[in-house]
Amino acid sequence: MKASRIFELILGVVLLWACIGLVHTPFDPLSQAFTAERLAGPSTGHWLGIDGLGRDLYSRIWLGSGNSISMGLIAMAGNLLLAGALLLVEQRAPGWLSRFILSTISGWLAIPVLFIALILLIYFKQGPSTLICAVALGNVPFAFRQLRVLWLHQKETLYVQASRVLGSRSWMLFRKTIWPNLQPDVVGLAKLIFSFSVLEISGLAFLGLIGDPDFSELGSILRQNKSYLLADPLQVVWPGVFLSGILLLVQLSRSRTT
Amino acid sequence: MGFLINSLRKIGVIFGVFLGGSLVLFTMIRLLEGDPVSLRLKNPDPELVALERDRLGLDDPLPVQYLNYLGRFVTGDWGRSLITQRPVAEDIASRLTATLELTLAAMALGALYGIPVALLASSGKSWWLRKVSHGLGVIGVVIPIFWLGFILIVTGSLWLQVFPTEGRFDFTYDKPHVTGFLLLDVVLTGRLELFGLVLRHLFLPALCLSFYPAAVAVNVIHPRLQGPLVRNLAVSLKARGLSPVRLWGKHLLKLTSPPLITALGTNFGALLGGAVLTETVFSWPGMGSYLIDAILEKDLFVIENGFLFVIVMVFTAVSLTDSLAHRMDPTLRKDER
Repeated sequence: MKASRIFELILGVVLLWACIGLVHTPFDPLSQAFTAERLAGPSTGHWLGIDGLGRDLYSRIWLGSGNSISMGLIAMAGNLLLAGALLLVEQRAPGWLSRFILSTISGWLAIPVLFIALILLIYFKQGPSTLICAVALGNVPFAFRQLRVLWLHQKETLYVQASRVLGSRSWMLFRKTIWPNLQPDVVGLAKLIFSFSVLEISGLAFLGLIGDPDFSELGSILRQNKSYLLADPLQVVWPGVFLSGILLLVQLSRSRTT
Repeated sequence: MGFLINSLRKIGVIFGVFLGGSLVLFTMIRLLEGDPVSLRLKNPDPELVALERDRLGLDDPLPVQYLNYLGRFVTGDWGRSLITQRPVAEDIASRLTATLELTLAAMALGALYGIPVALLASSGKSWWLRKVSHGLGVIGVVIPIFWLGFILIVTGSLWLQVFPTEGRFDFTYDKPHVTGFLLLDVVLTGRLELFGLVLRHLFLPALCLSFYPAAVAVNVIHPRLQGPLVRNLAVSLKARGLSPVRLWGKHLLKLTSPPLITALGTNFGALLGGAVLTETVFSWPGMGSYLIDAILEKDLFVIENGFLFVIVMVFTAVSLTDSLAHRMDPTLRKDER
């Protein structure tokens, strides 16, 4: 078995673990039930200890991982759909329009996701959905360019041309001939976009742009715990360990597939 | 001739970005439901609000407002913050230098170890250097920069107790004011005893942010020095008796510099985004917190002028680095005509 397959399996288990966190955690992540033991270290009852507001840190991180991952997945799906749709338009459109799309994309690429989020937040309310939209939009130029390279490469290959000569047309040509060859690269790209999205969403949440400061997301947990950095550094270390661990698994499962 | 046309085209692009960016910002703010002026006043007296809106020109027809906005931006009359009543241009000047000092230091530091690691990994047979270089290349998609900042604070400030945890300067001393770049200012005012202090404040944030340009350097240099053509070039230069340092540090580095400069320029915006996160971790008084507060408080003139300025600055940086790469690599100049 290849190493990346093993990491893919571990990643699957971690994703399952995070999904469970969305519906069940050992303690209520929001109830301040343990104010008497504030900043208590790890124990058998509370694996990662108690945070500065008297909440079970492990429960918060468990739910936070679930939220971070699901927000990242939604942003990734939205991003790939947008980029794919834009590519379809660009490929079918008349010359001037496709040139316009290409130059807009190359300009858009220079604007960091953070600024796109901030500009959206001028008008839209702070909250998870705005951040997801901002991240999905912000990564469109990157995804578009990658998809376009993959697409142009596939379109010119001999087997696609052969298939076309044999009379295969549009959807069936795509479904039977192009997609099976495109799929591994698109999956690799999707994993990369997922990593970007999770990192950017938690970064924006860390800046306090998610609205509700108690929202359990790894970035916003880090933000809340940073005031205890000097008293109990582990409060800040743990959320990052989970975030980096998830992203490292994504990276390891990706590295040999493409 | 090609150079002139290319420059004109680039200026045209920046002008287009200026128009597009200003239009988006202007529309976004005008679409807002709450009135920024009455949001500011604690007890909004309708008469007072009307007077203030009239003074700020917010009751003019929209096209007139938009043209006024463009005119004021170009002439540098950026108004006052609705919240603090401080002039926006002055605030941005002082905060921008803080951010630029941080990003430039990070770029220099990142190049200082990123380029040698990439070159050594490409040249040598040592597998662990290749691992280090690979790790440096993916660090940006695995480790969140804000968490890295806290880890650096925990190790550098809490354990080693060498570096301060936050800020740019120790306010028990008198802060020198010349250019706004503190490192330069202490040299210019001759107060070299403060140099170490400023450097200690700068080091951790710059190190934290430097992983970004270092990753760009590794990802650009390493794959470009892998091909068989480069191998042959390396062998033939070696046969001429060039030392490895001269061979890799001069000839082969020169080969990869134009794409490296272009990549660093294109990523300047992303570096600024990373700087915003780093600034928040280290309480660095830069553009990040200024712009975020402006968004959260709907501070009209800060949003209009601050964001437009940052966007124009990013595109100017991209164009300038692109031109520099074209100067250095004549083969790129072919598509200018």
